[in-house]
Amino acid sequence: MPILESRRVLDLSNERGLLCGQILADLGADVIAVEPPGGSSARRLGPFAQNIRDPERSLLWWSYSRNKRSITLDLEQTPGRDLLRRLAGTADFLIESFEPGFMARHELAYEHVAAINPSLVYVSITGFGQTGPKAHYADADLILLAAGGPLILGGDDDRPPVRLSVPQAYLHAGADAAVAAMVAHHERVRSGRGQHADVAAIQSVAMATQSGILAAPLHATEIRRLAGGLKLGPLNLPVIWPAKDGFISMTFLFGSALGVFTRKLMHYVCAQGFCDTATRDKDWIGYAELLLSGREPLSEFERVKEIVRTFTRTYTKAELLALALEQGFLMTPVYTIGELTRSEQLASREYWRTIDDPLGGSGKYTVPGPFVKFSATPIEYRRRPPGIGEHNREVYVGEFGLTESEFFELTRAGVI
Amino acid sequence: MNHEGPLADVKICDFMWVMAGPASTRMLADYGAQIVRIESPTRIDTARTLQPHQDDRSGPDSSGLFSNCNAGKLGIAIDMRNPRAREVVVDLVRWADVVTESFSPKAMRKWELDYDALRMIRPDLIMLSTCLFGQTGPLRQIAGFGNMAAAISGFSNLAGWPDRSATGVFGAYTDYIAPRFTAIAILAALEHRRRTGEGQYIDQSQAESAIHFLTPAILEYSVNQREPQRAGNEDRDMAPHGIYPAAGDDQWVAIVCRNDSEWDCLCEAMGAAELRDDPRFATTQLRVANHADLDSIICRWTTGASAAQIEELLQARGVPAYQVQNSSEAWQDPQLKHREHFVPLEHHRLGHTTLEGPRAHLSRTSGKVRRAAPSLGQDNQYVLEKLLGYDQERISDLAVAGVFG
Repeated sequence: MPILESRRVLDLSNERGLLCGQILADLGADVIAVEPPGGSSARRLGPFAQNIRDPERSLLWWSYSRNKRSITLDLEQTPGRDLLRRLAGTADFLIESFEPGFMARHELAYEHVAAINPSLVYVSITGFGQTGPKAHYADADLILLAAGGPLILGGDDDRPPVRLSVPQAYLHAGADAAVAAMVAHHERVRSGRGQHADVAAIQSVAMATQSGILAAPLHATEIRRLAGGLKLGPLNLPVIWPAKDGFISMTFLFGSALGVFTRKLMHYVCAQGFCDTATRDKDWIGYAELLLSGREPLSEFERVKEIVRTFTRTYTKAELLALALEQGFLMTPVYTIGELTRSEQLASREYWRTIDDPLGGSGKYTVPGPFVKFSATPIEYRRRPPGIGEHNREVYVGEFGLTESEFFELTRAGVI
Repeated sequence: MNHEGPLADVKICDFMWVMAGPASTRMLADYGAQIVRIESPTRIDTARTLQPHQDDRSGPDSSGLFSNCNAGKLGIAIDMRNPRAREVVVDLVRWADVVTESFSPKAMRKWELDYDALRMIRPDLIMLSTCLFGQTGPLRQIAGFGNMAAAISGFSNLAGWPDRSATGVFGAYTDYIAPRFTAIAILAALEHRRRTGEGQYIDQSQAESAIHFLTPAILEYSVNQREPQRAGNEDRDMAPHGIYPAAGDDQWVAIVCRNDSEWDCLCEAMGAAELRDDPRFATTQLRVANHADLDSIICRWTTGASAAQIEELLQARGVPAYQVQNSSEAWQDPQLKHREHFVPLEHHRLGHTTLEGPRAHLSRTSGKVRRAAPSLGQDNQYVLEKLLGYDQERISDLAVAGVFG
């Protein structure tokens, strides 16, 4: 029995919130995407299947609409808003990601809907939150990453900060929104009362600073960006290292917890003839303090890193991964998406799933599998991403009890 | 500790450490879940050694990262190698609804604390194991951190400039994503148990959770047979879309135009109305194609100006813009202040300190930071006496036996 079986979710969200509803849908909820006539604005965003710009071909929509159904509804028309209030009366969750004030202007704010359905959990996802001096700021992925702190930390030190080329801000927010929805649901089944969850992407992306956002209030040194790593004060700490056929990510750090790994690695590097025993036997636990106090010159650290680079460059990514397994080194290869899809690890866990072609073709497309493996309630992929209003009749007539003539009238008036 | 809030009835015996695991139970602690985290008295939690450290002085309580991940929890120190440690843990498992752990897959089995052993004690137990790559498969024993999962999951290669090798994502990227899915999985399993009485085991691979943030790239590969490439700050649907230099050391401003009208407003704000009629920039597609020319024009305008002022000027006209904020700037940001993102707190050793507050705002049962993260073993006495009902004699006896290190 799916965990959220028979729980109904009205998902009015667009590109700012799609992931939240998909998580609830993966948990078994009946998630109905409520799209404006012509389709969600998320459908206008790429990439597109076969590179054809078409709302039914948005791979962003395909990515985060699995297990949902779709209906269309025009909130700009009074009958549309009336219909939404009727739908909300029967729902357990409502998710929306319009700019702050939009729902209130349409008399669909939490207060309006809670008057009809006091047990509703109402989730709002925005860039900056529902209120505050910058609540009405215009947003975009890059803007939110800049605002919330992670952007300044990423990139090459001789160029501007750089983002991940796949937009992330609203995925962080959508996942936080799903946590909030589950917390509110947990409380609702005990109290019988719903509430409003207000999620702001600016806060969600701050998670990706690894608490670096606390540097100023803690009077600590700010971390700065470095190509393939980070700078902390005078120390250049690489994370990306060269392999014979590409790159690896390696933790090469110091201190009581991480220095032991560095010591282990340096013993191996030495045994393979890449350095002398004096280099091997440096105090890797206290090495950062030695460098910061000047007792070890920074030039010596540069020499050590060059030794390690020569070592990693000698092996292929696959050889280094095998070494990581065999020796317990903290290193993994930097994979392309193609390499990721061919991962033995993911294959052995039967991770990948396929979705049927949303365009009705015979193709099946690879998508990420369940976000965790539940032993008793495994996540199932029941439905491919829906077309625009694909379930209008099924939902409006079959489940909400509109008569055929009401449905016909609303469709003709462009409300549905 | 005062346990109120929407999750006040949730009790978790938490073996998780470092970042990804503890960050998930921190979210639940904000909403009142009772969490007893078990630390080793001899092997320090790596998070305690990571920056930022208060006043740049590293010590076991000074890490802002540790404090962020563990606020609101109770902490006990137990030496799991001690033969009598197990009796305490077994009582904690009886007390708890949920057991969580984030070791590499063999540790819990070695201590006979794996799911099969623990469900004998508590048949409706919910247990969650989280690690980089999951409990099975050839990489299950790989030790390490989220930067490694980010590399092998395809994130690192997609951050950087097309003319250079990948710069990689900052830090342990999958550790920022996985905790949300961990918290969701715990709450979902509790809901299932409420409805059916059935517990279960949850196997989380942090990589597998995080890959959900790359789905559009995976579909591009699977549907269009195209290998996604890193693209600097370019966007296929928007231009301008970049980070531009402003006055000062490492000062930048992010500027984006999502449509033609925002482009018009930007031209006006730059005092360059003539650009609106420039055929190179007439449509989004043309602006994307000619973004190099566009970027150099915008750079000339932003260079030497204040990032905050550009942000204000452009946002007043509805153009997406923001200063690229470092910690000092975020700390002063009026919107983050309004959202109470930074929470002041007293710590029994650090004195006055600060951490990040709850990210979602719930209208009726808001989250809050209940207390600072525990020092090593801070709550041994409280947990054994108040939660497990041990008398003083038994506690002393365990101490003499070396259970607490």
